[in-house]
Order: sequence, then structure tokens, then C-alpha cells
Amino acid sequence: MSATATELPTKEANLLKGHEGAVLAARFNGDGNYALTCGKDRTIRLWNPHRGILIKTYKSHGREVRDVHVTSDNAKFCSCGGDRQVYYWDVSTGRVIRKLRGHDGEVNAVKFNDSSAVVVSAGFDRSLRVWDCRSHSVEPVQIIDTFLDTVMSVVLTKTEIIGGSVDGTVRTFDIRMGREMSDNLGQPVNCISISNDGNCVLAGCLDSTLRLLDRTTGELLQVYKGHISKSFKTDCCLTNSDAHVIGGSEDGMVYFWDLVDAKVVSKFRAHDLVVTSVSYHPKEDCMLTSSVDGTVRVWKK
Amino acid sequence: MGLEEDDFVFHGTPIEREDEIASRKKKAVAGASGTLKTLPAWKQEVTDEEGRRRFHGAFTGGYSAGYYNTVGSKEGWAPQSFTSSRKNRAGARQQSISDFLDEDEKAEFEGQSLSASSQFDTFGFTAAEHSRKQAEKEQHERPSAIPGPVHDELIAPAPESIGVKLLLKMGWRRGHSIKDVRASSDARREARKAFLAFSADENTKESSDSQVLETEAETSLGPQFSEDIKFSETTPVYVLNPKQDLHGLGYDPFKHAPEFRENKRSRLSASKEAGYRKPLSMKESLFGPKSGKLAPGFGIGALEELDVEDEDVYAGYDFDQTYVIEDEQPPRPSHDNTLRLTSKEHNVLPGFGAASNSDYSVERFDPPKIPKDFVARHKFPGPREAETKPTASAPPDVPPPEDKSLKLLIDGFATFVSRCGKLYEDLSREKNESNQLFDFLRGGSGHDYYARRLWEEQQKRGDQSNIKLDVKVPPSVQKMTAETRGSLLGERPLQKSVKETETSASSGGSFQFPTNLSDTFTKSASSQEAADAVKPFKDDPAKQERFEQFLKEKYKGGLRTTDSNRFNSMSESARAQERLDFEAAAEAIEKGKAYKEVRRATERPIDFLAGGLQFTSGGTEQIKDTVVDMKTNKTYPKREEFQWRPASLLCKRFDLPDPFMGKPAAAPRARNKMDSLLFLPDTVKAASGSGALQGSDLQELKKEPEVEVEVENVERPVDLYKAIFSDDSEDDEEEQPMNGKTQDGQEKKNEAAATTLNRLIAGDFLESLGKELGFEVPSDAPYPEGTKPMEAENKPKAKSDASTERRLGLKEKSEEKTSSHKLVSEEEKNIQKREKSPRNRSGGNDLSSSESSGDERRRKRSKKDRHRKYDTESDSSSGHHNWDKHDSRSRRKRRESSREKRSSSHKKHSKHHKTKDSSSSRYSGDEERRESRREKRRRRD
Repeated sequence: MSATATELPTKEANLLKGHEGAVLAARFNGDGNYALTCGKDRTIRLWNPHRGILIKTYKSHGREVRDVHVTSDNAKFCSCGGDRQVYYWDVSTGRVIRKLRGHDGEVNAVKFNDSSAVVVSAGFDRSLRVWDCRSHSVEPVQIIDTFLDTVMSVVLTKTEIIGGSVDGTVRTFDIRMGREMSDNLGQPVNCISISNDGNCVLAGCLDSTLRLLDRTTGELLQVYKGHISKSFKTDCCLTNSDAHVIGGSEDGMVYFWDLVDAKVVSKFRAHDLVVTSVSYHPKEDCMLTSSVDGTVRVWKK
Repeated sequence: MGLEEDDFVFHGTPIEREDEIASRKKKAVAGASGTLKTLPAWKQEVTDEEGRRRFHGAFTGGYSAGYYNTVGSKEGWAPQSFTSSRKNRAGARQQSISDFLDEDEKAEFEGQSLSASSQFDTFGFTAAEHSRKQAEKEQHERPSAIPGPVHDELIAPAPESIGVKLLLKMGWRRGHSIKDVRASSDARREARKAFLAFSADENTKESSDSQVLETEAETSLGPQFSEDIKFSETTPVYVLNPKQDLHGLGYDPFKHAPEFRENKRSRLSASKEAGYRKPLSMKESLFGPKSGKLAPGFGIGALEELDVEDEDVYAGYDFDQTYVIEDEQPPRPSHDNTLRLTSKEHNVLPGFGAASNSDYSVERFDPPKIPKDFVARHKFPGPREAETKPTASAPPDVPPPEDKSLKLLIDGFATFVSRCGKLYEDLSREKNESNQLFDFLRGGSGHDYYARRLWEEQQKRGDQSNIKLDVKVPPSVQKMTAETRGSLLGERPLQKSVKETETSASSGGSFQFPTNLSDTFTKSASSQEAADAVKPFKDDPAKQERFEQFLKEKYKGGLRTTDSNRFNSMSESARAQERLDFEAAAEAIEKGKAYKEVRRATERPIDFLAGGLQFTSGGTEQIKDTVVDMKTNKTYPKREEFQWRPASLLCKRFDLPDPFMGKPAAAPRARNKMDSLLFLPDTVKAASGSGALQGSDLQELKKEPEVEVEVENVERPVDLYKAIFSDDSEDDEEEQPMNGKTQDGQEKKNEAAATTLNRLIAGDFLESLGKELGFEVPSDAPYPEGTKPMEAENKPKAKSDASTERRLGLKEKSEEKTSSHKLVSEEEKNIQKREKSPRNRSGGNDLSSSESSGDERRRKRSKKDRHRKYDTESDSSSGHHNWDKHDSRSRRKRRESSREKRSSSHKKHSKHHKTKDSSSSRYSGDEERRESRREKRRRRD
């Protein structure tokens, strides 16, 4: 157990300070060399987390920025937030290429698809909206509105759109099959994350539980408990080897569970206040955590 | 005269005229000798005492011609009041007498000005004036470093004025206001009170260990604060607040951001005293217009309204304060002058040595000792304790009232009151003063029963709370979580697990706010009911509670929660035994639950509605949720599968083949009535959108599905979609003939001969239609599929033979069509012929798509319809619209004109297009349709 614990990124490597107010999301870019954070101060910040340098600040949002995602080629990124819009940015110039309006409420999460051709946004208006990046249209390509409550989180695979909602469901929209699979967990889903092998989906629920689902059967594989997640949006993710599950807690702790036997392998205090987001490096054992205390921390082995 | 010449430039030496020289001499002589008077009036000259000529003629300079041909000054006339700047507009200049005085005259005038002698100078004004003048004079003599007039403030009146002396004798002291002392002290006290109250509020937010420090800072800050108020009225600011920064004189860095001033001041004082910086939350925001919990530092735009979403969810946490960066922050003048003197620091002022013993010592007092057990928070004498006392005397057991709903209401109400405290009862009594349902609160019917119920509930609760006390409730001094805050604000928690919140809230509920009410209602309503239903261990409340805990854990599954340590007092074996008991009980309950759930679900709404209480909708929903939860808890996660159609563009963007390529859209999943309404087909919307429908037409609309519907969800080729949608106007127009049909029934009979003829024509027409659309049409299935209206999906009526029915209907229509045209039959025929010819042409055209041909057909038919309309209208005036009349009238005119020019069919066509266009624009503007029509026309031309 101690052997596994040492593999985990539990040592603070850098402290990224600059946000004035809560940081709501921290995300690595595709290769893990950079990170984008966004927060209550309406800014999006681009960092080199490994050197702890703030590279650029993007300001245009009218309200808090809740999520951000970078394309795989690092040229563009999208962001969303309380101003009900999805912004499509150019990374280098810092200009907004497009503002995608249409959501009737705050937008909680955005993601690009693999080819960065579309942005999918999840909103308070109980819908997922798919926006086209290639054409100049600012109308959504598709609106998925089968959710019964706020959609909190969205994940895309090559062929699917997966959304987690407060109505307690994780809905998988298979584009290839033309099917919608709705997995009702019975608890509001805060955050969803997909395992690296693509077989499982991890859903953070508001009853302070992470649930691991088999995607093909919809079976509940494992339940992870110990942390606190009751009222804030806290993230969860898996390590690159899918050996551990990581979850942020509302008391500022970060928890590591063993994927299989659901034991808490490691936990440590990452922040003083609510950990809003955890993001794992795509290749290395490195992790970003962001918190309401306005800081982002980089964790390494 | 002579002076006039001086204006000119002369070359050479002027020859002086003798008479002029003579006159001047004469004048001088006369002036000297006083012989001037002898001169005639027009030769006399006025001079001043220095012999200057005072009066001149207009051409010699006017009044003051000392300055030749100028306006009385060397500079000449200048528009003095003119200022070129836009901002500094010239004000009305106050003229004074000095403007009209020469220098010498002014000097003379000055000497006579009145002023009080210093002896009687009560307030020292004159002395000040005098000294200022003195200083001014001095300044003129030797230029000082500061240019410009001397500042008044720099020159103090020299002697003590008599008024000051008097005041001093009356007990006034310098630096104090002359105002009424009591009034000012009142204000001071008020301010201090507010300040203290506020700081106490602040204190509660801090954790208890920092409280001491906080109060310390408080006491140090307090006197200074009050002193400020005291002195600020008379004493100049610079005396009170000596300048300690390096800003320029009079520069106020907080001029436009006054909210930061307080911030900085307290920061300074805090650092002065405690030496550490305390992050200060923005106090001003609390006093803001809405006192909302806004995120610090982030306002919203001026045009936006403060909204729910602007609330700071993370409020209550103080994170690193971002200070306003002031440049030139002085190197921390952390100590006062007094402190500097008393402190035996080495770094004294250069040139001074620290005194070995200073006779100057400020009397200092230690802050008051705070008792160890002091908690800086006021404890309200809880309403609950207050009412648990009178429970000693139990009211007599009374049979419940007859009225079932009243009983329910009383039961529920008693539960709430026992939960929320007496306060709630008072409140609702007040509120429902006139509501006779609540008579039992005021001693009306059912009061006894209510009293009894209340007592029972309180008893129950008392037991529970006793247990909790036994089990060492963790100190209730805990940070407000978002949840508790939410509940204070009456929010509905996100969470569905009500039970958990209930326990946490009730354990931490050492103080209860009245605003807490709505939340507690919902809680009690759900949990109490549940508890009543599931109470196998009623005799042992402690055990019952454990059992509930057990149940909760059981249905939630997974790890034990933290309060498992509650049961530590029990032995291992006892716990195991109990666990077995619980298992058995749980199963028993499970069996009985299904029934009870149904019962509860039905009775709950009545319960609430009868009570007339204001429940948040969230509350009732929550209850339903829990009901569902309990039922299905075991089955989670539950998987459902639906069909979902991705947009084709989405598939393209994901580089995937469209699974629904070429397939029609599935019928939308109707989730509830609202959705099905939203998914109404376009035709209906368009029809209703046209706004001109009357009752009869609406009826037709309803009837239509019966006539034309086939089966739901038939796979239609995608290309037909447009045809379907573009057909909507046609559907409407078809209603008109049906309408007309009923009215023209008898006419039809009369015109049997015409009918047979026209039937032939109609059959021909339908056949050719089929050809035109490229369908394999048997003679009895005339309608192409594309004409199926969208209503088909809504509610298909199973008709035995829909196709034949349709055919019949259509034939009838066409019959009717033609029969109604008896009067203008010739014309009609002509038209039909004309129609035929393009049809045939396009029918032979292989390229013609179903869409365009359908369009054409529609046009034809609509043409006919219109004729028919026109005729039917002329016959029967009832049941027709204004616009119809108008249209038909205009059409008649058009037709009349077209009759004359029938030779050119092209013209006629274009006319019809026009009319069609104008009429169709009433319908939902279907661009496509129009476009295709245009295209068609082009082709035809």
C-alpha cells in the first residue's frame, strides 16, 4: 500500500497564484505541458504548471468562468460560465473567435471532441448543446434535452457524448448507434470522468460518493467514499494507469482510492478550502488541483 | 484739433501754426491767472490739478483721451470677459467702484475703508485680514518660494480674539465643537454601537481562537475611531490624521474608491497593534443595497440586475485578500510618535539620543481579561427549551376531531411546531388570523386535540434531543457549510438524501432561525411520517434512532458514516444482536412499505393543501423524490435505452456515418403533456399562426386527420419532407371547399349534368397528377404520400379504408368545385384547360421533382379554390372572413381585367402568381415554397 502511495503525485511541485477569487476549473492541455484555469474572477489563465509561470490571461467573460477545454492542437480553446455563453478562443492572440449563445442558463462544462470540430456544452437549462467550430454558424448543431435537470458535466469519446446531470443520470449518446443510454444512479451527478481504457465511467455524486460504472452494461462496479461532496462541484478523475481514483473533497482534501478494492490509498490536504477541480496529466504522474481559496497547485511524485 | 494731427506720420518738420501755439500759451497764462473764465464756453478746457486735459471731443479720444484713439487704456479695448475655453465660461462680472478709479484715486479711497479695531475684533477676522494684507505686501516686496497668493491657512490671526477668550472662559476648549455636547455624544454612541455590533458579527465568523486577537484589535481600534468622530467637526483634518504617506498634499488615493479607505485604516491599526495582518473581508459589501453575498471584488455590470446566480456560493470563506496596491506606501510608519518616544528602540531620530528616563509616559491600560468560558456569541434562550418546560403538565387526551382533514392539519401542524418552536405557532396564528381552518390555534374547534398532539410531539422530540445530549453532541461551533446556509436561505438542497441533512441539521441546530422554517417543514414532514411508519422500536427511542441510522446505511450502501462512533458505548455482542434485530425489522417494513407508499403519496398533497401552508415547491418535490428513492433504491443504477437521433452534421463532425441516414425522424419521445404540445407539428402552428381561422375552420382542422390520416410513422423518403412542410397552406385551403360544400349542397343536386361532366374532368386531373409526381398511381389512389399532413403523427384514427375514403372525399370536392361554378362554367372550363396545358407539359418532363410538381398542383388547386370561394361567398354570406371577402373582391376585379386580355396566357399566369404570393404570405413564410414556385415559373416561361 505504501508502495502504491509513492506512485501518486502527492508532493506539491508548484503553486499557481493569480486568480482573484475561487478557481473553478484547472485543466491540462493535450500534452500536459500547459494548463488552463478559470474562475470566479472572470478570467481564464494559461500557465506553465511545471515552471509555475503565468503565461497569459484571457478576459472577456461577463461572469464567472466555469470550465475550459483546449483543442488537441493547442490552437483554440473553449470556455463557458455564468454568462450563458460558450466562448471559442484563439490561444495565441487571446481573442474570442466566436461567442456561442443559446443556453438558457449558466453553462457548467464544455468539451471539444477528438477532432476539435465541435464543442459540446452542458448547461443549467438541462441541455447539452453541440456547437460547430468548422462552419461559421453560431447555431447549435444539436440540442440534447432529454435531461431532467441541470447537466453538470460532459465527456466525449470518439463516438459518444456522455453527460452527467443532477437528475441522477449519466446519459451516453452514442452517435454511431443512434442510441441514448441512461444510467440512473439515484443521486445527483456532479462530475463524470471516463477511464483511460474507455470501459468505465466514474461519476461523482452529491452523496459524497464516487461511483464507477461499467459502460457496456451499466453495472455499478465500485463505490468510493470518504470524501465530502455534498453541495459544491468537485471533480474526480482516474490516474493514467486507471489504478487509482482521485477525488477532491469539500474540506480541501484530495483522496486517492484503489480502483479495485475502493480503499483510500492516500489522502492529503491540498487546499484550505473546497477543492473544485482535479485534473490528471495525460502522460505523467502529475496532477492539478484548484480550489476556492484562489490557488492552483501542481502535484508530482 | 491739433491732437488729431498727431495721428499721422509726418515727414519733414511741421510748421507750427502760430495760433495754436498762441492759444496754448494763452491757456497756460489764463489758467495761472484765472482769466479762463473770461473765455467763451466752447473755448474753455477742463483740466485736472496736474493740468491734464480731461474732456475731449469724440474724435479726439473721448473721455479719457490720454491714450490716443484707444479706449482709455494703453492696451486698447480688449474683450476682457471673453475666455476661449469652453469649460470656463465667462461669468457675469461684478463691477465694483474700483474699476472706475485711477490708481491715485484708489489709494485715496483705501484709506477710508472701515474695519474694526483690534480691540473689538471679536473673532479675529480683522486681525486675520490685516495680517494677510501684511503678508501680501511682504510677498510683493520679496518673492517667496511659493508663487501665487499666500494661503489663508498659513497665516493665523495674531492675537487671541475676544470671542475665543470669552468661550474659553465659558469652559470651551480648543479643538472641540461649539455644538451641543449631548447631541454629539449621542451620535458618537450610536456610531460606536453600530461598530461594535458589526464587529461582533464579524467575530462570529472567525474561529474561536482568533477571536481573542480580533477583540484585542477591536479595543485598540475603538478609541481611535470614536476620537475621530469627536474631533472631526472643528479641528482641521491634518491635526487629527497627521500625514503619514508620501502622497502629495491633498491627494486622496481613495477619492474614487472610498470603500478601501476603511480597509486600509483598519489594516494599519491592526498591524500597529498585533503586528500581523488579518485578512479583512469587505465590510461595505454587507451594507450594500441588497447585502447579497457577492463575490468580493466582482461586481456585475450596470445594466444587469443582481440575480440569484450572482450570489457567492463560496462566501463565508475568506481567501487571500487582494489589497489595492498603493504605490509609495511609506516604509510602515507602524508606531505612533508617542510610541516611538517611549519605546527604547535604537533607531531614534538622527541627532537625538534616547532618553534614559522619560518623564513622559502614557497611562496605559491592559485590555480587560476575557473569562475563559466566554463565548463571543449570544445564546438565545431557545424557543424549544422554553416550551419543553410546560410539557410537564400533559393536556388531557382528547379524541381527534371529526373532520378528517382538520385532524391531518392539526397533526402536521403540531409536528412542525414541535420542530420549529413556539415562534412558528405564533407566526402562523398571526398569519392565518382570518383563516378559519386555523381556529384550533386560537382555541376554536380542535384546540384541545391540537394541544395534546403538540405535547406528544414535543415529548417525542424531547426524547430524541435527550439522547443526543447523552451521546456527546460535537460542539455546535462549526463553520457554516453551504448546506446550512442554503437551508437558512430556504433553498432546496441539491441533495436528494433528505435523511442525512436532517440529522446533520438537527444535531447542529443549537440555534434556530425563524427563516429556517420552510426547510424544517419539509424535513419534518417527510421524516416524521417515515418515522411513524417505520417504528418498530418505539419503546426505546435510542434504539429506534440507531435503527433509523441503520436503515439509512442499508439503503445507501457502502461505508459507515462518521457518527458510527455514537454506538461505542455498546458492547460488541450487543451491537451484533441489535443488528440482527434491525435486519429482521427492516425486512418486515420493506414488505409493508409498498402499501404505505401509495397511501402516503395520495394523502400528502391533501395534507399540505388543506393546511394552506406555504410550502416551497421544492419541498413537496423532494418528498416525492424520497418516495421514489426508497422504492427504487435497490435497483440503482438503472439503465434505460432510448433511440436518439444525432443530427447529420454532428455525425459528419464526428466522422461517423449517420445511423439514420435516409430514415425519417423517430417520433419524439413524449415525456409529458407539455412536451407533446411543444412538439406539435408545424402545420398546426402555421395554421394557427395565420390567425384568420374561425371556429368552423378549426373544426375542419380537427376533422382533417380523420379524413386524410393513414398510419403513424410510415417511412417516408427524406425528399418528401419539404413537400410535407410546404403543403401546409394547401391543407388550409382545402378546408374552404369543405366548408363551402355544406352550404352548396342543394345546388349540387340541381346541377347533376354539370357534375357528371366535371367528374370526368376531375378524374382526368387526378390521374395526370399522379403521373406528374412520378408515382405509380392506381386509378383509385390519387394522393401522393407527400400530401399527408403532419397531424397524422398525432392522432391517427383507424379508418377502415383510408385511401378510398380520401379518394371519395377528393372527388366530392372536385365535383363540388365544378358544380359551384355553374354560373361561370365557361370561364371555369377555360381556366381548367389552361391549367391542363402546363400540367401536361411538366408531366412529360422527367426531371420535375415531386416537390415542384406538388407545388404546381397546389397552385392549381388553390386557384380553383379561390374561384370557388368567390362563388360560394356570393351565395352565402355566412361563415366567411373579412380577408376572404377582400381577396375575392380584388380577385374579381383582377379577373375582370384579365378577361379582356385572355389572349395572353402568360400574363394571366403571372397574375395568378401574384395573387398566390400575396395570399400565401399570410401563412408561415415558407421561403422554399416560394422559391420553388419561382423556379417553376421560370421553367414555364
